[in-house]
Amino acid sequence: MARWLVLSVIGPSMLAIGSLGAMPGAAQSSAPATYTPPRTVDGHPDLQGVWQALNTAAWDIEDHNARLGVPAGRGVVEGGPLPYQPWALAKKQENARNRAALDLEGRCHLLGVPRMTYMPYPFQVVQQQDKVTILYEYLGAVRYLYMNGNPHPKGPIEWYLGDSRARWDGNTLVVDVVHFTDQTWFDRAGNFHSDALHVVERYTPTGPDHMRYEVTIEDPKVFTRPWTMSMPLYRRQDTQVEILEYECMAYLLEQEWDKADSPLFRPQ
Amino acid sequence: MSHRSFSVALKGATLVLSVLALARSPVAAQARFAPATPKLPMARTWTAYKATLPPYRPPRTPDGVPDLRGVWGGPGGAGGDDIEEHEYVDSTTPPQESFISDPPDGKIPYTPWALATRNEIRAGLARGWPGESGGRLYADPASYCVTTIGPRGGGGEITQQPGRVILMNARIHRVIRTDGSPPLGGGAQLWRGSSRGRWEGDSLVVSVTSLNGRHWFDSVGNFYSDSTRMVERWRLVDANTIDYEITIEDPTIYTRPWTMNYPLRRAGTGGTDAATGKYAWRTTVTADRDPYAREMWETTCNEGIGHTVEELHGLGFKWFKGVTPPR
Repeated sequence: MARWLVLSVIGPSMLAIGSLGAMPGAAQSSAPATYTPPRTVDGHPDLQGVWQALNTAAWDIEDHNARLGVPAGRGVVEGGPLPYQPWALAKKQENARNRAALDLEGRCHLLGVPRMTYMPYPFQVVQQQDKVTILYEYLGAVRYLYMNGNPHPKGPIEWYLGDSRARWDGNTLVVDVVHFTDQTWFDRAGNFHSDALHVVERYTPTGPDHMRYEVTIEDPKVFTRPWTMSMPLYRRQDTQVEILEYECMAYLLEQEWDKADSPLFRPQ
Repeated sequence: MSHRSFSVALKGATLVLSVLALARSPVAAQARFAPATPKLPMARTWTAYKATLPPYRPPRTPDGVPDLRGVWGGPGGAGGDDIEEHEYVDSTTPPQESFISDPPDGKIPYTPWALATRNEIRAGLARGWPGESGGRLYADPASYCVTTIGPRGGGGEITQQPGRVILMNARIHRVIRTDGSPPLGGGAQLWRGSSRGRWEGDSLVVSVTSLNGRHWFDSVGNFYSDSTRMVERWRLVDANTIDYEITIEDPTIYTRPWTMNYPLRRAGTGGTDAATGKYAWRTTVTADRDPYAREMWETTCNEGIGHTVEELHGLGFKWFKGVTPPR
């Protein structure tokens, strides 16, 4: 896609978000402005339905090779390697080595934003006048993206999914997310962030059954500059598709309950 | 200490945030009751009161079905601590009428072995209640933050789209398709079952099948099985009250179908009315001037139960795998 078109689409909105600063040289991809999505009764683009990512970002958001049980994959990060500060790169590598013990996926916790989006489970978008709600199959989580005029509540707050405030920028749903814990990762490869994480998600319909999902990550405690990931989201076409359930904690407890030395029951 | 208390005994920062989240939710934090509390009204008072209501035609959504949209409280009273009628037990378990409108005695019509099983579970709850065995058997599955069946989901928001009714609160979502699509089949089972709705006059009628039989109706071990079927009826009886009725059928554990019936009140339109003996509903958020009062904030349930799980496991409670009828 032509760079000039991309910049013309995202430029002004990035300014409007503010506080992101310059995005030096990040190769942005964005939606063609040609598709006009249907509207909800409130007059906004209608993103409702059951969606899912179809990529390997849940394993690793960067390029990675295959290994037992893991498909090889192209990364979803725009531009070069993740701009870790030196200490943070070392910690990322340590995370990867100790993933079994450290990744909260193994404890069935909420996995943060944007990771919940590209877990291999569907999610349903529900729109109302005052908010957009995402119903995740994973853990049965509910995430409210408020557009009721309230700013982010005053912190300090540490939530696993952060606090989400949304607005429309043309056909794009723009979500500003802050107030995160430092406990969650971006993937199973140990890519991580701090509690200073600031996420801006952009959901842009590119056709009746596709959205472009772009995420800007800003975390001055961990990275040297903001960076962006981008991927398509697909509307599930299965005629019987619906959000079922993945009750992770129940399956985990049932598996571990009668084991003599399960780490799950040791004080942390 | 009750297990419900365990389940909110969260860690560190999470505790503060969870309390905040509860305060923001239309479902008020758990009340504490004095021994002299009058018996809280439930099915008996509600069915008598309901009989006096004038006919009401609910408003319709743009696609012409009854409009149930809004934020609604849960069953009210002391919640689902024990759905059968009981006297005062402790400060979180005040005297309360049965949730059950049929049979008329308000008791679950268990078969004899199933009643014995329920009594065994109840005697092993180790809540410091009269009649306990002194041992520990199962903790309430709700202690583990597992999603639950309709009646225990608590209050929340209902929104509607053509072909579906969507329920959601801070922790749980439930999409009820009303488009005639077939329910989950093939022996697959879910914690919250598979829900399919249809409109009958002014009522939303929801059939719940494919349950895994692993949850309870309340915190004292009243159970169902993986062959149980439930039918819920939701009907507006005035602008701010839903008449909620659920009929439970399972010949393997009950001698006959039985029904719970109670009102759900629209958030901001009422409070618990134990003093007058009228029907009960939840006290709602009073912080009208707080612009965040109607937002539903993260409860991080799984993340906060580490201590609960360690404690219940360490105390020797077993993992409840459902009840299997004798052959």
